[in-house]
Amino acid sequence: MEDIHIQGSKDVYIQPTVDFEVATGRCSISGESFLEETAKFYSPMVEWIKAYSRFGKNIDFTFSLTYFNTSTSKWILTILAELKKLEGQGVAVNVVWHYHEDDVDMRDDISDYMADTGLKIDLVPFNE
Amino acid sequence: MESAKETKHRTTDNIAISYTGVFDNEILSVLAKEIEGTLSSDDKVNKKVFKIFIELAQNISLYSLERDVTSGGDGMGVGTMIIRNFDTYYEFSTGNKTTKENIIPVMEKCDNINSMSREKLREYRRLQRNMPAGQKGGGNIGLIQVALTASNPIEYALVKCEDGNYFYIVSVRINKD
Repeated sequence: MEDIHIQGSKDVYIQPTVDFEVATGRCSISGESFLEETAKFYSPMVEWIKAYSRFGKNIDFTFSLTYFNTSTSKWILTILAELKKLEGQGVAVNVVWHYHEDDVDMRDDISDYMADTGLKIDLVPFNE
Repeated sequence: MESAKETKHRTTDNIAISYTGVFDNEILSVLAKEIEGTLSSDDKVNKKVFKIFIELAQNISLYSLERDVTSGGDGMGVGTMIIRNFDTYYEFSTGNKTTKENIIPVMEKCDNINSMSREKLREYRRLQRNMPAGQKGGGNIGLIQVALTASNPIEYALVKCEDGNYFYIVSVRINKD
């Protein structure tokens, strides 16, 4: 199992920065995600999470996604659902989501994700 | 169905940004930067317009009947995008060619979305998000997201083309306050 490192971009393809570390269980997705072909980008992350319980006992997942399109939103749901499954397999799962304090839409969206997956997400507002 | 005069008025007054052509990734990124960086001095409004642009522009790329096939495969959709600037709001419109059979379900969906409260829209989005991806791009949730982002109804119009197909225009207002 290998780490995932993807540099974010705001050029032709608007994609987030991704860092998944096997050794520490620290994972983050940050920036903006307006990709059209989301399957190619996100499915390796889902596979990584599915395999993780064989390699580690805790996972600290940080979302700092400020904007994402609806195509991406389905993959976020899949990632959170897989994290919930990991929790069921005995992995200590800690999920934090940083969002702008004025972004009511984002706060609602995160609440809806929690309701759909049953996964606790710590909402951390910022105001820069 | 609106008249040609109404369509002309709808598409030529108070224009801030407009584009007609192929909606490929390069063009989308140029337009996205223009909207995010220069549309108004209010960053929150720019971000809202930007989010709506991404959803509606990607719908043109994926679903427009008129295709540019120089890049191979199914090609990229061709269409029109117009942002008009009024005193209290921006109006964001896109237009693309379609068939009546394809667009009637979309118009019904707009009517359904417009009849819903914000809470109902969130429930509807959750329902759609939990469904397996049936079509490319997950475009089904796009219109719900547009309505939630704009907090205004989605307007639409259908204009018959000479070749028997239709030009579908979708518009939404984004308040400046």
